[in-house]
Amino acid sequence: MAIGVKVMQRPGREASYMRATLKGMALTFRHLFRRKVTMQYPEERSTETWTLSPRWRGTHRMLTDEQGRSKCVACGLCPQICPANCIKLVPGEDEEGNRYPLIYEIDEFRCVFCGYCQEVCPEEAIHVGVHYENAEYERGRFVYDLERLSAQTHPVSSLWDPTDPRGE
Amino acid sequence: MTTRTVEFELSTPGVDAAGRDIRVPLGVPGREVEDFPSEHVLINIGPQHPATHGVLRLVIELDGETVVRCIPHIGYLHSGFEKLAEYRHYNQIIPLTDRTDYLAPMSNNVCLALAVEKLMDIEITERCQVLRVIACEMSRIISHIVWLGTTGIDLGAFTPFLWLFHQRELIYDLQESWTGARLTTSLTRVGGMMADVPDGWEDGLRTFCQGFPKVLQEVDTMFTNNAIWCGRNQGVGVISQADAINGSLSGPLLRSTGVDYDVRKDRPYLGYETYDFDVPVGEHGDNYDRYLVRLEEMFQSTRILEQALDRLAGLRDAPMNVADARVILPPKSRAMSDMESMIHHFKQVMEGIHPPAGEAYLGIENPKGELGYYFVSDGTAKPVRWRIRPPSFVNLSALPQMCEGALLSDVIATNASVDIVMGEIDR
Repeated sequence: MAIGVKVMQRPGREASYMRATLKGMALTFRHLFRRKVTMQYPEERSTETWTLSPRWRGTHRMLTDEQGRSKCVACGLCPQICPANCIKLVPGEDEEGNRYPLIYEIDEFRCVFCGYCQEVCPEEAIHVGVHYENAEYERGRFVYDLERLSAQTHPVSSLWDPTDPRGE
Repeated sequence: MTTRTVEFELSTPGVDAAGRDIRVPLGVPGREVEDFPSEHVLINIGPQHPATHGVLRLVIELDGETVVRCIPHIGYLHSGFEKLAEYRHYNQIIPLTDRTDYLAPMSNNVCLALAVEKLMDIEITERCQVLRVIACEMSRIISHIVWLGTTGIDLGAFTPFLWLFHQRELIYDLQESWTGARLTTSLTRVGGMMADVPDGWEDGLRTFCQGFPKVLQEVDTMFTNNAIWCGRNQGVGVISQADAINGSLSGPLLRSTGVDYDVRKDRPYLGYETYDFDVPVGEHGDNYDRYLVRLEEMFQSTRILEQALDRLAGLRDAPMNVADARVILPPKSRAMSDMESMIHHFKQVMEGIHPPAGEAYLGIENPKGELGYYFVSDGTAKPVRWRIRPPSFVNLSALPQMCEGALLSDVIATNASVDIVMGEIDR
């Protein structure tokens, strides 16, 4: 049987206040000389042991093509899959029959940052980004429109991206 | 008799056969609502009290400092997850499961995927199984870490909390580099995983597995023989084996009474029967035994993680997702280049996955006990009903029994040792 059952025995000897306190204090004291593990956050954004993961799912970014137009073709997959219903998409069509988003808005307040929009996007247009710290002075500023989404410059998550093959 | 007894009768309203209002007192079933003697004091703990570990409100009737009655009031964190799920495709439910037991999100994700796979009769790949075992055990460790740290704080020990939360940060960092989120992991998909672990990730987990037992040993030094810890925990919050079984308790709470019920052992899933580990059980059913059981579970989880990592190394190039086009999206590069795959991609995203009509219940051993997800499907892409069996909801129902007759300060210790998480109690 690979899975055993282990009966937990409680310590038999009488617990002593004095010994326990001294032992605890000695252990705590030894910790004083260990390496510090805290990070001085606003000054320090990353340490040698930690940086924000390139797979981080943060605020969105819309990628654009060489002409500066958004890559989105308004297929409607991201508003369909979004579990939080935070994407508003109104599709339009230019004279050549190419679809593009007339309105593309993401309500970052409703968003749960699951990254499904990026997972399903067949054009690699909408991405979740490696970014946090999103404070604003007004609630309305949290509805990111197409212009704002395209103007973001932070790196995008490497999940579901050919650069990270293990991320599917 | 005072008017304040109405607190006890905040009740489920109903009408009896004669049309009169009936009031079912919340509290221990079968007990008459007695008079409230004037020397008794009625106090509230919570819902905004840090020692209730969430928005739990305990109404406690005190005789001096002895608890006469303890009534948990829940529902402050109700978010309607079960109803929300009825309007979502199966894969869209996964972000909801992150938020039920938010101290062990990956374990919840795994349970959902397993339940839908059972509904659809899908056999997942071996690599996926190993990855899910890793996810479950990492969740168990962080959940127990939070439990041990906060229980220590409740009983006045602050130092181990800091040591343990450093370890929790290390797991969160691993979680972040795997899933891209520290808490809302949304790790699984039906039939597979959201993403494979990044290259070199296993080394990070292995380093953690080497360092973590040392920290646990230190905590063991601080707590196990500590007279204050023993005094506050031994013989406090006792529940008998029969009561624990009758109350349908599960997890460490049940095992502390000596019942060796562990879903991983008794109804194995994810190939748990092939791992070497021990299920720790207690003997007395008190807070101290729950502490010992959970402490040992963390050691055992580390053991499982090490075995799983060895297996993962052997499955380096094995497929992770099932080759089942009904549930798994085609690879992104294929979907963007190949017409068939793109059609497939669109069809699956727009229409969701369609399990056959029927129902499935699957229970897994969550850190807090047996977590069960029950799905009823009518053959469409959305479940007709999603029912969660939250372990801490059931475990909380034993709290009044464990507290009554004890002192007020024991209520804090006992409530901490039940290890509740309000996200899944109120869900």
